[in-house]
Amino acid sequence: MEISVIASSSIDGGIGSWDIKTGTEQLRFKQCASPAHGLTAVGEKFLAASQLRNASGSSGSIFFWSWNKPQVEVKSFPVESVKALAANSEGTYIVGGGASGDIFLWEVASGKLLKKWHAHYRSVTCLLFSGDDSLLVSGSEDGSVRVWSLLRLFDDLQRQQQGSTLYEHDFNEHTTSVTDIVIDYGGCNAFIVSASGDGTCKVWSLSKGKLLRNIIFPAAINALALDPGGSIFYAASVDSKIYVGAMNSSSDYATQSLGSVSEQGKAVTCLAYCADGNLLISGSEDGVICVWDPKLRRLVRTFSHGKGPVNNIQVVRRTVVGNSNKAQSSWKRNGSSLPPPPLEKYERSGDNTMDGIVIVDPPPLSDVPVYSSYHSADLINEQVRELQQQGSAATEIEMERLKLEYKKSLQMNDQWQKNYENLLQVVMEEELNGSSS
Amino acid sequence: MVRSKAPGKKQQKKGIDFKKIKRKLGRKLPPPKNATNTEIKSQAIVLPEQSVGADKSGFATSKKGLTLDELLKQTSHHNAKVRKNALHGIKDLLEHNPAELQSLKYAIVDKLRERLSDDDKSVRDTFYLLFDSKIFPSCLEDNQGPMVSRLMPYIFKAMAESSVEVRLMAFKFFHLVVKHYPPTFSLYADKILENYKDIIQKNHFYVQDRSKLNVALSGLAHCLSLLPCDESDTESHKENEPLLAYEQDAANESARFAHVSGRLKEIVGVLINCFQDFIPLIHTPGGFDEKSFSCLHHILCSIGYAIKFSIRMHVQRQTMWLPAAEDVTLMILDQDIAPLISKKLLGSFPLNPENNLSGKVDERYFILNSVLTEIFLEVSDWSHLHTDLCNRFLVFIEYTLLDKISRSDRQRKPIPKPIHEKTLLALLPSIPKLILRMDSDWRENLLQAFTSTFNDCKPESPLTLACISVVRNVIIPNGDIHYLSESDPTVNNYLRVWVNKLPSLLNQLGDKHPLSSQAVLKLLLDLGRVGCLNASPTFEEDIIKFFNPCSQGEGDVSGGAFAKLPREAQDLALAFLYYFTINNFSSPLLESIVSCCLHPQLEPAVLCRIVEVVHDAYSAGYIQITDHFSFLTTLVARFKVVQEETHRGTLKAITELVCLRLSKMGDGSLILQILEKVLLEQINLKPMLDNGCAILRIICTLDSKPTSLSESSITTLSEYLPGYLIDIVKCIPEDKENSSLYIQTCLYYLIPCYFMFERSSKLTEEVLKRMQSIVSENTKALESVQDRESGRNSLNLIQCVVSVVLLMHNDVKVRKIISSSKSEIDLILQDVISLQSSGSTSLTVEGKHMMKMAGERLKIASNSLLT
Repeated sequence: MEISVIASSSIDGGIGSWDIKTGTEQLRFKQCASPAHGLTAVGEKFLAASQLRNASGSSGSIFFWSWNKPQVEVKSFPVESVKALAANSEGTYIVGGGASGDIFLWEVASGKLLKKWHAHYRSVTCLLFSGDDSLLVSGSEDGSVRVWSLLRLFDDLQRQQQGSTLYEHDFNEHTTSVTDIVIDYGGCNAFIVSASGDGTCKVWSLSKGKLLRNIIFPAAINALALDPGGSIFYAASVDSKIYVGAMNSSSDYATQSLGSVSEQGKAVTCLAYCADGNLLISGSEDGVICVWDPKLRRLVRTFSHGKGPVNNIQVVRRTVVGNSNKAQSSWKRNGSSLPPPPLEKYERSGDNTMDGIVIVDPPPLSDVPVYSSYHSADLINEQVRELQQQGSAATEIEMERLKLEYKKSLQMNDQWQKNYENLLQVVMEEELNGSSS
Repeated sequence: MVRSKAPGKKQQKKGIDFKKIKRKLGRKLPPPKNATNTEIKSQAIVLPEQSVGADKSGFATSKKGLTLDELLKQTSHHNAKVRKNALHGIKDLLEHNPAELQSLKYAIVDKLRERLSDDDKSVRDTFYLLFDSKIFPSCLEDNQGPMVSRLMPYIFKAMAESSVEVRLMAFKFFHLVVKHYPPTFSLYADKILENYKDIIQKNHFYVQDRSKLNVALSGLAHCLSLLPCDESDTESHKENEPLLAYEQDAANESARFAHVSGRLKEIVGVLINCFQDFIPLIHTPGGFDEKSFSCLHHILCSIGYAIKFSIRMHVQRQTMWLPAAEDVTLMILDQDIAPLISKKLLGSFPLNPENNLSGKVDERYFILNSVLTEIFLEVSDWSHLHTDLCNRFLVFIEYTLLDKISRSDRQRKPIPKPIHEKTLLALLPSIPKLILRMDSDWRENLLQAFTSTFNDCKPESPLTLACISVVRNVIIPNGDIHYLSESDPTVNNYLRVWVNKLPSLLNQLGDKHPLSSQAVLKLLLDLGRVGCLNASPTFEEDIIKFFNPCSQGEGDVSGGAFAKLPREAQDLALAFLYYFTINNFSSPLLESIVSCCLHPQLEPAVLCRIVEVVHDAYSAGYIQITDHFSFLTTLVARFKVVQEETHRGTLKAITELVCLRLSKMGDGSLILQILEKVLLEQINLKPMLDNGCAILRIICTLDSKPTSLSESSITTLSEYLPGYLIDIVKCIPEDKENSSLYIQTCLYYLIPCYFMFERSSKLTEEVLKRMQSIVSENTKALESVQDRESGRNSLNLIQCVVSVVLLMHNDVKVRKIISSSKSEIDLILQDVISLQSSGSTSLTVEGKHMMKMAGERLKIASNSLLT
């Protein structure tokens, strides 16, 4: 297992990656200028980033990089410019939030656009999945935070019957653009904390669907990171400080700060928390990435990303590709070595009603590590077909082998019998000779 | 009198402790041995103390000289008159000794409570009066729970007495208790309601004696009004419970009332029957009197509260546990109750007098009708009423909105304003619901009627707030925008009219009604967020006017209210401004924002927020770069430092912010190229010291070494800088005691110059040359001119130049820079020396001394430059 920090910028500086333990710079992936929240690691498979483009261009673009190559592996061009990008923890789905407020949901393995829906009135600024991947939380420039259930999104029938809205919750208290959202470990009953340009952070309960806390900061907040303890969160502000917000504090104002990133008042633009080693990582407008020890409140080390402002930081862990893969079947090996297909532009309609249905596998066996979660129907069909083909060949070979073995054992049987008869003869002769002598 | 009590006792004790014992001196004979013992022994004889004779000094007494203890004893005297007098006595005593009540509260209540079911009317009345005027008011602050729990058993006992009078008194007294301690009702809700039901139902005295019935009804209405009908009632106190903690099993207010629904149903039934008994009275030619009106009013109000509560309970239960059921109507309003309500109660609407009567009676009918309408609005959600009946109510609502309730035909005197307003306040919250539900004919009528109400309401009336919330609920029901999806064009037209009225309403509200302003701004913000401000020109004009604090026309006295609103409203306004600029940016708007920023009373934090908002709009691509440049530079150049302490700090902060923003916008030298002309034009205008400093700082931030400024700019700067430097020394008073602070202050203004000197040696040279020429000119002037005044001015100028040179010399780095133009400094030195030695008449002794000092300091400086 290897833990590294990846960071990208709004001007073309590529994606830098560093090892968090040693601080050595690793591969730099080329050709990336992503908006805030536009960089994500798709499971352990590859990296994806939405691209900033000229306003004139009608379509947006999303690039994929595999872990070991600096060049862009796959380029896809969705209908509109995509701002925020997120993938679920398995890396089976990618969601993108468009500039018009639409959200796109793609299946990674097939590149199919499963669903596109109008989520917000203005552009989507951030997206994240809940810890159990059942809910999607989106924040928008219009100041609203909405929570979507991935299952219920596809349940058109029930929605029509009940006349209910597409979203589960709609939190509307922020007065300006939502800049970041974090979620704690409560699964679908978690708390979420949202930050906004209005200088407040708000704590919401997903189970009750209401505002629990409103914490006011001295400046607009750009990014958030949640402490693993769950009672503290860190807020990166435009006045170059990282503030500490307590969920349970009695006062509505948070003034405590971890430290200041730069002397010139350059804004802190993004934050990430690395639970392994308890480190807080911040990126700022002057292109510097700082690693903090939040307990001791001091700077541990800094990386330099480049000239432009850093606007995305992620902590990613990937397993070093080793011998374990040998156990996997030929199908899986093929699947993982091929690059994923590009993401489709439009929803496929009327193709096959079964297409949209998501099938959940039975719980995985203990020694099958990956690919144990969701596949869509045609993938499964393909797999079954392959297995069937493989199966018929194998049985033939097996039959042949068995026939051979049968023959062999018959021969053996004959031989043994001969030996036995010979021996018996010898013994009898000796007995006869002995008795005669 | 309690105070006097303690010292009195002390004195007595003192007397006992030091009793003077008189002894006769001398010896006594021992008793003879045969003496007979004549002592008589007996049991102690106890004579009951007579109250007249007893010593009452130090005890609180009533007028008649009775102590509290005695009075309490007398309250259970068999003679009614004595009991009454005792109660009067207690009242009198408590009036003069309020502290007595605090200490003996429970003892008094324990004794007095028995009087509640007294046989004698006058005693009961006195008892009531005593609690009303003395005991409850004085116990307001402390916890009344124990006291109420002492009283309640007796109240219940009295409520169940056989005598009607006693029962009524019990209800009247209970009402008093609830008035002073509202939680009483929730504690005993079930039992209390049962008692009320009993008295209203069983005794058929009402129509005959309405004042008696009124006693019970008013109490009931008050109790039912305490039922939690709004979400906010129960949610508000939960504000600060800790997160991630175990939930406390705090008694939920609504859970406490969960079991009363059945009882409420019975009560509603009884009340409706009671209402029926009044019907004949309503239609009598003479109308009804004050008392029956009050009874009717209470009946209707009680029914209204009960229905409201049970519907709310139902909704809550539905959202919490039960899945959506279809037969909702039946669940809340029982099968028995629902037809009862629709037929017997609502069916009698509208209540109209048979004949045309005086204004007073008309008012009463109007009030009753409006309460009935409220009930209708509650019920109509859940049950299907007859169309004809619905129409009658809708007509009433429409006419109320239009303020067209005509009374009699002869005298068209309108309903008094306060009553009308109260009714409207009650009706308005249900308007959005009605508008969404009605078919298109009625919808249009209602929209029309509401528009007229909205247009008519004055900024100071509470109706404004109610109207705004109606507008909000129609456009954005439960947080989701509605009005774009609405296909009905007529509705959209009305909505557009309302939205377009909002900004002008904002201007009408001014800064006098911050709550209403805040509501309007919140609505505007939400509309802006979802991007449906299809602004008309007047809309824009009004917004521009709102932000501009300077009055434009002659007619306007005050200008826009933005700068004077409280902070919360300003924050909302700025958030709105962001979304507004995104969609409707125009240069008049920017002008207005600039003039708002330059308003001297604006808080610095708000100012910074405005700059941020404008920058955000710029970086999102909605404001042109040139506009943004001119906004930033105007801000810096025009900001007036009126009060030095506050404004100087603000300008510093702004300068910093502007520099930061400019450097963020792209490559410094490029931006400087664009801005150079504008900035130097400002410099040419010879701005004030602080503004000048700010502009210089911007140039420094953008410039690099060696300077990329053009020749002509350098010349302009070299013309400006000498005056600027002299101004620094002139304007900042030298602080002898705290010289480091003084130097720091000067440094703030000097640093941009230093940077420029470093970047361009030519500038350094020019500036020093100019300063030298100032010195030499003034030297000449001093030699020739005889005038005292101008002489002093010249002298000061020279002095200032010398100080500037010395200040520059103090800084190690700058010393290096100016060493190249040492010749100029030497020339200045020569001038000073020549002046000092000249025999000019205009030079005073003091002046000569100053020059001498200056000369010496300059000499040292110039020498050190050489090395």
